[in-house]
Amino acid sequence: MRILVVEDEPKTGDYLKKGLVEAGFVVDLCRNGIDGIHLGSTASYDLVVLDVMLPGADGWAVLAALRQAGQEMPVMFLTARDQVEDRVKGLELGADDYLVKPFAFSEFLARIRTLLRRGKTVEPEQLSLADLSLDLLKRRATRAGKRIDLTAKEFALLELLMRRHGEVLPRSLIASQVWDMNFDSDTNVIDVAIRRLRAKIDDGFAPKLIHTIRGMGYLFDEPEQR
Amino acid sequence: MSRNSAETTMRRPASLALRLTVSLGVLISLAFLAFGWLIQRSIENHFKELDAAELAVLVHSTQDALLECRGNVAALPMTVKRLAEASVGHHGIFLHVAGADGRPVFSSADIGLSAQLHAVAPVDQIDPATLQTWRAAGHHYRGTVLKLGMDPAAADRPFLVLVAKSMDMHMSYLAGFHQALWLTALGSILIAFVVVWWVVQRGHAPLRRITAEIRQTTSDRLNVRLSPGTVPIELAELAASFNEMLERIEESFGRLANFSADIAHELRTPITNLMTQTQVALSNARSIEEYREILYSNLEEYERMAQMVGDMLFLAKTDNGQLKPSNTRVDLTQEIQELFEYFEAWAEERGVHLALAGTAPAVTGDRLMLRRAISNLLSNAIRHTAHGNAVTVRLTAHGDYTSLTVENPGDEIPTAHLPRLFDRFYRPDPSRQRDGDGAGLGLSIVKSIITAHGGTVEASWSDGSVRFRLTLPNRGTPD
Repeated sequence: MRILVVEDEPKTGDYLKKGLVEAGFVVDLCRNGIDGIHLGSTASYDLVVLDVMLPGADGWAVLAALRQAGQEMPVMFLTARDQVEDRVKGLELGADDYLVKPFAFSEFLARIRTLLRRGKTVEPEQLSLADLSLDLLKRRATRAGKRIDLTAKEFALLELLMRRHGEVLPRSLIASQVWDMNFDSDTNVIDVAIRRLRAKIDDGFAPKLIHTIRGMGYLFDEPEQR
Repeated sequence: MSRNSAETTMRRPASLALRLTVSLGVLISLAFLAFGWLIQRSIENHFKELDAAELAVLVHSTQDALLECRGNVAALPMTVKRLAEASVGHHGIFLHVAGADGRPVFSSADIGLSAQLHAVAPVDQIDPATLQTWRAAGHHYRGTVLKLGMDPAAADRPFLVLVAKSMDMHMSYLAGFHQALWLTALGSILIAFVVVWWVVQRGHAPLRRITAEIRQTTSDRLNVRLSPGTVPIELAELAASFNEMLERIEESFGRLANFSADIAHELRTPITNLMTQTQVALSNARSIEEYREILYSNLEEYERMAQMVGDMLFLAKTDNGQLKPSNTRVDLTQEIQELFEYFEAWAEERGVHLALAGTAPAVTGDRLMLRRAISNLLSNAIRHTAHGNAVTVRLTAHGDYTSLTVENPGDEIPTAHLPRLFDRFYRPDPSRQRDGDGAGLGLSIVKSIITAHGGTVEASWSDGSVRFRLTLPNRGTPD
């Protein structure tokens, strides 16, 4: 997966690139809009990350130029300005996501993976990992052949974790996807919910599937695959 | 740019002083002109009537003469001349008598008016309204042509008699009078304009005084107030409104200043932590594990700061009206139930029961914002409820508003602290500052959101329970 990052702030650019490379992506970084337009329209990328305020040509101009050049890859905007008009403008120009600084890197990564996955998923009827399986039609979870009773929200939480297994999911993303809470909460509600789910699907079983990644969020995976 | 174009398209109305001066001046001028015209008219009429009376005497004697000479046509000129001579001549009076066939019978003097004899329609008697004005040989005359007596030489048809009186004396008098009249009027009009201008300028003096006072209002002198009692009654309301505006500005300024100070203070603590921690960490070589610990600890501080900045931005935008709540139907009952689902696990772990009482019809508002407000109230209540107690949310529909109360048993909060709970960064107990209850902006956000919806928030304590009550107006149908 090749990603183009256009970001003029040196530290931000370097760390975005570093983080994305470590997450397994091939990353090109450029520092201004003109280079961004050039690279984006000549090379082939799976996704472009664009800062709004850029020297040379701003993010809107880069996006417009890319779309003009027939590049249809998903584009994510990064901005320090959180104005509704900006969001609307970005979406009208064909941006696919919009992330306001400061953001957590885990959130950034999760959203990038969502964009890359978009349109490629085939709806499965069943999710399974190790000896845990989730029947999405019958709304039933079983581990090692044993039926596990889950509440509706627990089921939704587990479904999210399983669908995105191998990814670190930040708490904010979990809150937004499972409970439709689209703002930062100062409580540890997500931690409690995960703890309860863990008690049902991990306690008494091996290997443990839900992992806490300190400072970032939660990961659902088989340990040996990490 | 938009302001400039608005200025060019909207013309500035003319100055008040100019408007008043011009309208009053024009009014006074019109009055003077009408008055002058009236005087002139009445003097002219007076002269006309005088002339008519004099001519009437002449006509009368001429008629007598014509009757006296009936049958003796040859004696006629002599008789007429004799009778007329008494009144004609030194008075500037002119008499010309002609037979019905046009032959001249008598003429007092040849002043060139005989041509008028057949030019005007003859009348039966003198009437000021039918008097003509003639000009001949450099003199002005007023006169008329009459039909008098019977001319035996022309089948007893009446004689044509022309009488006229010189107007030269009247004319010269009137000319002098006109000049004096119009000069006086012009002078008075000019004086009137100047006086009106002066009076208007003086009338605007209080306005200029207020302007000077307002000019002295700067951000560090917001406590200055105009005194509505010392200005004319028309300006009292302006002064009062200006004072009210100052009041609001001063209040917002104060809040803003406090807010900035609070922000600085709130950011100082995490920044100090980060700096100290990093410096200490770097002062010695440490194990990878230790470095990791430090980074994690830093991350927590960063997250706290990021959330604080996010919350402050949200507050700033809501308070400045940049974030306008949308107008959709929001079913509060459903929102509360969904929030209960979200908080359920956490509350259960803390041994806190969640209960909803009452219902209310859907309100109009911004679902996300209202959800955030109620969520903040709930998390605040759950956090401050002791194990084994319950948080109760009560919905009540009133006529034109809906109220939502979040109630939990808790320690008494002194009345003085209650309204301040909604202040930014306010914590009733300073020692409990950073035990995980966020940046101290949760309740401020509640207040901002509800205020943006046109509602109210209040906190109260009674019978061992803390109550947060918010009201939302029922604002008609959503968009």
